[in-house]
Amino acid sequence: MKRFGLIMMVILGGLTVYAQTNAITPGSPVSATNGSPVAPVPPRPPTRIDSDSADFDLTGHLATYRGNVRVDDPQMKLSCAQLTTDLPESGGHPSRIVAETNVVIDSTDNKGQTNHVTGDKAVYIYSVQNGVTNETVTLTGNPQPQVENAQGTQAADVITWNRANNRFSFYANYHMVLRQGFGGAMGTNSPTQIKTTNFPPEAKENIDQNASNPPAADF
Amino acid sequence: MKAEIQKLKSGWPAISAALALAVALGVRAQPTGHATDFTTTEYYEPPHQQQVKSILSGAEAQPQPGGLLIIKQLKLRTFGLDGTPEKVVTAPECIYDTQGATASSAGPLQLQNVDGTFRVEGEGFLWRQTNSFLTISNNVRTWIEKDAKTNLKP
Repeated sequence: MKRFGLIMMVILGGLTVYAQTNAITPGSPVSATNGSPVAPVPPRPPTRIDSDSADFDLTGHLATYRGNVRVDDPQMKLSCAQLTTDLPESGGHPSRIVAETNVVIDSTDNKGQTNHVTGDKAVYIYSVQNGVTNETVTLTGNPQPQVENAQGTQAADVITWNRANNRFSFYANYHMVLRQGFGGAMGTNSPTQIKTTNFPPEAKENIDQNASNPPAADF
Repeated sequence: MKAEIQKLKSGWPAISAALALAVALGVRAQPTGHATDFTTTEYYEPPHQQQVKSILSGAEAQPQPGGLLIIKQLKLRTFGLDGTPEKVVTAPECIYDTQGATASSAGPLQLQNVDGTFRVEGEGFLWRQTNSFLTISNNVRTWIEKDAKTNLKP
């Protein structure tokens, strides 16, 4: 009898939820670089999704959550008005999750940097090809999606978040507001904005940013 | 499971004669009494009409006017085209409409897949048997585990 599994989820956040790339099997010993065993990885807490109501299409393997949707995942928290996710027939991660209307995502990466992401629509895609996990969240819609973190606020018509390496890519109508002190130039962590840069609307900007590499934008 | 499905295919032997009569009479009758071990089966559309799509069962069924049944200890199981158990829905009680093939309740229910990695709880639901569509009206909570914890027996 086949085992039937599920998802995700993450939702988001899982949507992310599921977002554990190159995850270590919980409970299994992990070898350190010197080959000695270390303590087992504790089981990953479940991802929780709360909503006012929900529809489950058990033939189409689709779940739609409506009203005050909240996703609480170890790696992120998400809220929105509607969330749709596939329900894999044979278990495992959902391959596609769509969050719509007033999407807010708060995440913390493994270096402790927090990102506050907002948008009208977020589409989470998960796939594994040739043993490589691809996991992205694409934000679009009006108002323009944006990412806010310790460095400042960045916005664009389309923002792609690569969950595997925690990199954000910005496409079209890129706009950045740096916080004072970012990069050490101002010598303070004051949240006062010091610089705004607008890129031409027709330009397709692709500016990667993560905790270890400063934005490629030339200020 | 195969034996159970074969049993169901052979003509609902699990349903008592009294319950069958009550259902057949529908609106015209004011049925009384109750039956135990209620079961009704939904099959896939052709060309897979031999494959069980879902089995709705209850420990007790009380006939009501209008072709309705009050089902106690509802258990709903869904299956893939290959017979693989997929989801299990349980609820303490519901009203089953034999004519519309729907089950509904204002009370709680729980939905989960067979390996326990996906679990949903909520209050108030409507199950449409013909298209396997479940709506939960209030206070929906879902837990998703990365790893299977249980292997429920369908």
